[in-house]
Amino acid sequence: MPFRGGMKTTLSKSLAVRIMAFASALAVASTSAVFAYQVPTAPPLSENDKQIAVAFEKRVKQYAKLREDLEAKMPKLSKEAKPEEIETHKKQFQERVRQARAGAKQGEVFTPEAQTLIRSMIKKEFKGRERAEFRDTVLKEADTKGVPLRVNYPYPESGELLEMPPTLLLRLPQLPKQVRYRFVGRNLLLVDRENGLIVDYMTNALP
Amino acid sequence: MKRRAASLMLVILFAASNVYSQTRSARNGSSSPAPVNITLPNKEGSVRFLVIGDTGTGSDEQHELAQVMLRYRQVFPFEFVLMMGDNMYGSEKAVDYKTKFENVYKPLLDQKVKFYASLGNHDESNQRFYEFFNMEGQEYYRFKKGNVSFYSLNSNYMDKRQVEWLNEKLATDTASWKIAFFHHPPYSSGGKHGSDDKLRQIVEPIFLKHGVDVVFAGHEHFYERIKPQKGIYYFISGSGGKLRKGDVKKGSPLTEKAYDRDMSFMLVEVNDNQLHFQVISRPGETVDSGVIVNAGKSNGNGRVITSSSGD
Repeated sequence: MPFRGGMKTTLSKSLAVRIMAFASALAVASTSAVFAYQVPTAPPLSENDKQIAVAFEKRVKQYAKLREDLEAKMPKLSKEAKPEEIETHKKQFQERVRQARAGAKQGEVFTPEAQTLIRSMIKKEFKGRERAEFRDTVLKEADTKGVPLRVNYPYPESGELLEMPPTLLLRLPQLPKQVRYRFVGRNLLLVDRENGLIVDYMTNALP
Repeated sequence: MKRRAASLMLVILFAASNVYSQTRSARNGSSSPAPVNITLPNKEGSVRFLVIGDTGTGSDEQHELAQVMLRYRQVFPFEFVLMMGDNMYGSEKAVDYKTKFENVYKPLLDQKVKFYASLGNHDESNQRFYEFFNMEGQEYYRFKKGNVSFYSLNSNYMDKRQVEWLNEKLATDTASWKIAFFHHPPYSSGGKHGSDDKLRQIVEPIFLKHGVDVVFAGHEHFYERIKPQKGIYYFISGSGGKLRKGDVKKGSPLTEKAYDRDMSFMLVEVNDNQLHFQVISRPGETVDSGVIVNAGKSNGNGRVITSSSGD
């Protein structure tokens, strides 16, 4: 490594002094950087909005419990599963949940109040150029055209699962780990992460 | 927070002269492939691995790149592979696991090379149960090799739960090297996607706080080495199965080195306080190489070595 060897031979006293000065500056910088390194947090909600969010989270948890109970009756999927086992498990899981929620309708989880709250959260998250860019992503770039807007129908496995902006996820009501928010066009869906079923959806979520 | 702007230093070892001329068009199969040329130390006992991303097509080109990996493994016996996500494009039936992954990398799987996957925006969560992805049923997980901790993250869904997990795990991690890998690049010069600013807002403060050294990502279908950002080295290796030719923005202030003319993979070796890397294209060229020296973790005097570009 000739380059490194060269450095070793040219390390003079003056350079050492400069390095020490640089290290001191770094120490100061790192102290002030404590504040700059904070992960963004969601702004607090009003009391009324808090209640709406809690009620929404409760409804999603009810779905999560239902599907957990159903999955518990199925053979457990190994952490080292074969592709055939994964495919079979998903299919059977879908069938059981679809049967159990045969009468489910749009808006049962995303109630009108929850929709209003979530729309306002999304609107606050995406402003100006960011909103335009995100609209471009969901409307033009994402490969989600084949996704049906139908409760209790599967999200097609060939459909893209568009990245959920993490800063928005921190702002939105928290979901149990079994359920995910997904944007399809301007619509926001709740999708089961294992069986891929659409739990509920709301239209025009993105302004 | 002991970090770090100057604690990691990059020395590029190989100049343009080391970039082999293309002796074969892998696509048309004419003439002989470029000779295997290892620029890494290839030392016994070091942590040796390969990095690929956006692989899951099952295309002829993906197979050709896998053949190049196999040739390099004969000389550089990497133990495992990090996958940057988009492990399967399109459908994810049982047959797709075979055609888009198992058949392509069968020779490596036969040699007991382990693959550690992360999830991209084309991947279902159920992939976490797949035997050959070694995800232990988790969408995000950590594993250790030697003095290195690897964090596989799910950048497709970076929710509060995952953020808390990452913070907790990193806070107590005493490994010499902390490497994170996931699909979406926090920094990128890609024309189609570019930097994932929203993701960066969340993960970068955590990386800085807990001393993550190197980040690998995919999503962009090319190779890019980003100029160190706040002391962290970011790489994009997302052309393992797809290529977006000419997509790197010319003159991007982020780019230290980029390659978007053909598909590629990275070979990496961590040895004590040095992380060596070499990037190989489908025709077998070495398109980038270098070493990151982590002076903060060395036994030496922590001197600053100025960065230098290889070409």
